[in-house]
Amino acid sequence: MAAAAQSGLGAEELALLEKSLGLQKGNKYGVQGERKTPVLQTNNGPSLIGFITIAAHLVKQAKKEQLLGSTAEEKAVVQQWLEYRVTRVDGCSSKEDTRIILKDLNTYLEDKVYLAGNSFTLADILMYYGLHPIMADLTVQEKEKYLNVSRWFNHIQHYPEAGHMCLIVNFSLKFCDLFKSCRMDLDFSANMYNRIRYSF
Amino acid sequence: MAVAGTLYTYPENWRAFKALIAAQYSGAKIKVLSSPPHFHFGQTNKTPEFLKKFPVGKVPAFEGDDGFCVFESNAIAYYVSNDELRGATKETAAEIVQWVNFADSDIVPPASTWVFPTLGIMHYNKQATEFAKEEVKRVLGILDSHLKTQTFLVGERISLADITVVCTLLWLYKQVLEPAFRQPYVNVNRWFVTCLNQPQFKAVLGDVKLCEKMAQFDAKKFAENQPKKDTPKKEKPAKEEKKQEKKEEKKPAPEEELDECDQALAAEPKSKDPFAHLPKSPFVMDEFKRKYSNEDTLTVALPHFWEHFDKEGWSIWYAEYRFPEELTQTFMSCNLITGMFQRLDKLRKNAFASVILFGTNNDSSISGVWVFRGQELAFPLSPDWQVDYESYTWRKLDSDSEECKILVKEYFMWEGDFKHVGKSFNQGKIFK
Repeated sequence: MAAAAQSGLGAEELALLEKSLGLQKGNKYGVQGERKTPVLQTNNGPSLIGFITIAAHLVKQAKKEQLLGSTAEEKAVVQQWLEYRVTRVDGCSSKEDTRIILKDLNTYLEDKVYLAGNSFTLADILMYYGLHPIMADLTVQEKEKYLNVSRWFNHIQHYPEAGHMCLIVNFSLKFCDLFKSCRMDLDFSANMYNRIRYSF
Repeated sequence: MAVAGTLYTYPENWRAFKALIAAQYSGAKIKVLSSPPHFHFGQTNKTPEFLKKFPVGKVPAFEGDDGFCVFESNAIAYYVSNDELRGATKETAAEIVQWVNFADSDIVPPASTWVFPTLGIMHYNKQATEFAKEEVKRVLGILDSHLKTQTFLVGERISLADITVVCTLLWLYKQVLEPAFRQPYVNVNRWFVTCLNQPQFKAVLGDVKLCEKMAQFDAKKFAENQPKKDTPKKEKPAKEEKKQEKKEEKKPAPEEELDECDQALAAEPKSKDPFAHLPKSPFVMDEFKRKYSNEDTLTVALPHFWEHFDKEGWSIWYAEYRFPEELTQTFMSCNLITGMFQRLDKLRKNAFASVILFGTNNDSSISGVWVFRGQELAFPLSPDWQVDYESYTWRKLDSDSEECKILVKEYFMWEGDFKHVGKSFNQGKIFK
């Protein structure tokens, strides 16, 4: 478990994604460089480097290509949000960064149920993972303030593809009782829990 | 095991869409019969075989390949659904039924009242439409606050609740909810558009174009629809078929339309203009009424009346209460008059009357002068109007005659000899 935690958040998330997508055999992830970029060594080919690259590969492996978007536009929007996730959400280091992300997302989600198009995609999954620590840290008032994000977050966490291992943050009704209905399973939840606690 | 069967309906029936979308989710196999020769709306559903299976004779109606028959669109949609659409727990199932019923009881009536006139299948009534708009706002407000924190109506997945409410709102969004009107309901809009864009909805509804400009009453289409009244939609059967069936078609059609419009008509009973068949008349009743109400009767209103009265388009009648011996207290007699006026409310646009109570308690009579659109008594035109008129004798006056001039003058002015009455003026009532 300690080894997994050290391998970086990206690798941990990929393992979660893999499991949620229903892929049976666990891949082994390595990290590379100072930024701990995840690396996947495939059995019969080159190693895949980078969070988004590996995530997209897993989706294809699971034969759930619809998660990458169905039309050309949708695919582009999925990519856009994956990029946003890696550059903005992961790079967010201050309260102010968080505020901007939540504000932008809240406006964006005012008239949308999903981040890309009209269905659930990889963009929703990975943004959900990425926002999990941020959302878990919000006060009830803040959750009400970013109502559209809260509603979206609550909706996404009910998809099996979003991973049942995550803490289920209960946003229904009054967005209170945070952590009340959390489900902790296996090593992942412990890791996630640490991540949530120590991410700020 | 997936359900399979046949759905009888008329084309583009939003009630049938509910079942068809549900079937897209559940994988139920539904064959749709909506047009001749297999299904002729207004006829097939009145045949004895059909009525044996579906006693109400309404569509949509569903007949399973195994012989199971069910009518009422919500029941059909429920039957062809899967467990996820129906709600997995008792609580979610109850919430789903709640929204399905809400759609029928709170959305259908105002939606019909507002939208049907714009499709030319019902007469326009300004008051009713304005009331319906307010109702629609109320309903959208309720949905909007619910969908603020909820992605879908019940739980986190699309259910029969979403399917039903979306289909019920469909005509509103297509016809009248222009951007400015729907703009405050962001949460409803988001949910509605997301549902429409689900592949299962798209397969049934196609690309739905949301209203850009609020549709208004389509008088022309309404007039066109009146004689044939075939189906509420444009769908026309083959021409030759039409000719030979014209006679029979006329009869069942109004009932059929009632199916579709029932709720709307309940809100606005018999809104069809009973004088629509008459040619236009140059005499503007409202103009006269304004003069009568606001200006001197003798010097302005009466000259205006005689100057503009159109004896082709209008007629003048003398009415006398048949049972004066039954009149006791004068206040009761007055109530008799005003009660009649109230029951004739819908006639106001096309009539004017001055009815006078003469005499005193236990010795009185009622008579009046009436002006109607057309050359016949207007009362038989609507069942609402038939309550009182048979208690009166009606005599059509020759508008050129001296007698008529005197009666009109005396009754409109509530002054004069009233020679034919033989009792003194007690009080008058004006129907305008």
